[in-house]
Amino acid sequence: MNAQAQPLDSIAGFAALLRDHGLKVGVSEQLAMVTAALRVPVERSARLDAAWRAIACHDARDWRRWPDLFERYWYPERTKGSARMSGQTRPARNLQQLVKSLHDGMDSGAPSTRPGNADTALQTPAAEPDQPDDSGLSRAQGGATRADALHDRSLSMWLPQDLAQLERLAERIAQALRKRLTRRWHDSPTGRRLDVRRTLRASLRTGGLPLHPVWRSARRERPRLFILVDVSRSMETHAQLFLRIARAFVTAMDARVFVFHTRLAEVTPLLRSDSAAVQEKINAVTAGFGGGTRIATSVADFHAVHARAQLTRHARVWVLSDGFDADEPDQLADALARVRGRGARITWFHPSEHAPASQAMQAVAAHGNLVERLLRLNSLRDLAAVAEHLR
Amino acid sequence: MTEAELRESLYRAGYIADEGLATTLWLAGELQRPLLVEGDAGVGKTALASALARAQGRTLVRLQCHEGLDLSQAAYEWNYGRQLLAIRLHETQADRVKETDLFARDYLLERPLLQAISSEQPCVLLIDEIDRADEAFEAFLLEVLADYQITVPELGTLHARHIPQVVLTSNGTRELSDALRRRCLYHYLEYPTLAREIAIVRATLPQAESALVEQAVAFVQRLRREDLGKTPGVAETLDWVRALHRLAFKALPDDPHALMATLACLLKTREDRFQLGVDRVRQLIEGRRTVGVAEKAPQPS
Repeated sequence: MNAQAQPLDSIAGFAALLRDHGLKVGVSEQLAMVTAALRVPVERSARLDAAWRAIACHDARDWRRWPDLFERYWYPERTKGSARMSGQTRPARNLQQLVKSLHDGMDSGAPSTRPGNADTALQTPAAEPDQPDDSGLSRAQGGATRADALHDRSLSMWLPQDLAQLERLAERIAQALRKRLTRRWHDSPTGRRLDVRRTLRASLRTGGLPLHPVWRSARRERPRLFILVDVSRSMETHAQLFLRIARAFVTAMDARVFVFHTRLAEVTPLLRSDSAAVQEKINAVTAGFGGGTRIATSVADFHAVHARAQLTRHARVWVLSDGFDADEPDQLADALARVRGRGARITWFHPSEHAPASQAMQAVAAHGNLVERLLRLNSLRDLAAVAEHLR
Repeated sequence: MTEAELRESLYRAGYIADEGLATTLWLAGELQRPLLVEGDAGVGKTALASALARAQGRTLVRLQCHEGLDLSQAAYEWNYGRQLLAIRLHETQADRVKETDLFARDYLLERPLLQAISSEQPCVLLIDEIDRADEAFEAFLLEVLADYQITVPELGTLHARHIPQVVLTSNGTRELSDALRRRCLYHYLEYPTLAREIAIVRATLPQAESALVEQAVAFVQRLRREDLGKTPGVAETLDWVRALHRLAFKALPDDPHALMATLACLLKTREDRFQLGVDRVRQLIEGRRTVGVAEKAPQPS
């Protein structure tokens, strides 16, 4: 880990803690916290307490909770009878060192941007505190394109006709996903099979005489759809669109939606209700970005814990990600192979112009048929274009 | 201006800010973000803005919010009388008046928001008691606070020449919208601590005896912990000490009867007056707060 990575990690972790406790700390607040840390002289770093409090608190309730949260994170040794806050190994946190290394990072010029290092996402505002607006361009990582019309387009900025179009599209795709037999039957030489339970049930209306026999018929069901949305920092600008699309599929065909960055979490219940508070909640779930993307771990978690019983040949797994993975390159292929081994079909959607070419994705491609299709998805138009490929 | 200098100049302007508040004010200036100050009535929210203006040598533009406050009172209004007059004048002079002439800056009456935006010198804009204005006005404020601009349909968008330092105050009578809160830095002003309140009173009333100031402030601090309908603020403390000083008290008298008349400075409702009888005041003077069975009553001499 480089010297600059730590302070930004610490601030991101602190913001995540605040979000966990109900404070509304979004990206803009987090950037303001970094900016404040840069403006405060090193020797007065203790004043960050008051500065961050003004940024992160939005009402009297937040205000009263602050001292406790601040102490717990930055000075855990002062909190009596406290345990560690999580099972993860805790990096050393020291406000003064944090401010000092932030300042050093700024003095030594812009740090080099390395693709795959998620923490670089936050380094741009650190390096250019005066130009927070055009930081998006230089934040681009790897192959993911950033200069896009959707940049910074919040959920509330979707026009009603966009939403209606998206709903129609999702409905059409849901219809197009072919219904499949739930069981494969052998042909019976004796003809149709009696459904005894239903026949008995139907006999009630004729006083127990089974006058209306019910025959078994093959059942066809739509495939079960799982959508995994990458909400790591590198996908920040696209996550809004992807979550919107995922929401449409939750409505249209009861899809299950998961978000992941370094951990995986299910957000289906949140997506079922459409309200302004939902984005806040999703933000809270996706807390801790800047810690990188661990696609392989997330897919393995999805396979082993969240959807184990439902991953059959009826399952369709859509991964919406740029493919930049902080795990070992081979792990992603292994994790996907296990999902594929259960019969689920995997489709990978990427926001970039070309198919993702990260090491992990190359390993996946080397496997041959792990991922059924790699499709570009960067706008509603793309979704309409790929609709016919989704079966 | 660094944070320490700001604190110092606030002190010279007669406002004693603690470190946290000074840092927040400094940060609001650095980030050019509005500052939302909440707190009970009388803790010095409004005084903070005027002291800030004095400290920075800027003019204070104040917008007092109230129910039914609308654009014409807050931002701008066309001067209809002058427009009509101009039309009549031009009628007599035979040259035609164009419509665009009538909707020029000359005919625009600037109200506080527009004043602050179009001010030649940087200023401090105080939006007082924002919770009293209705939600529609709050929504309008978002444009002003986010981009420091006001759109006048006839003229176009007017951008701020200098970004004003904005202070919003709220007493919490209505919940403010998240959108507004997130655009602002936030500070909750508590009642000042004993030491700070003594310093405030000393700074404002240097002529009062220090024993009197200390005892009176300690009395008010104890009084605030009582279950009162209207808790006395700093302004009330100042009033009371001023009154006691005028009455030539050198220290708080032991006999509460002498004080009862002056308590009008501190207690502003009938219920509170009723609650604080002579005995209770005596207990407060002596520094005992709770009344219980175990408590010793003063021995009759």
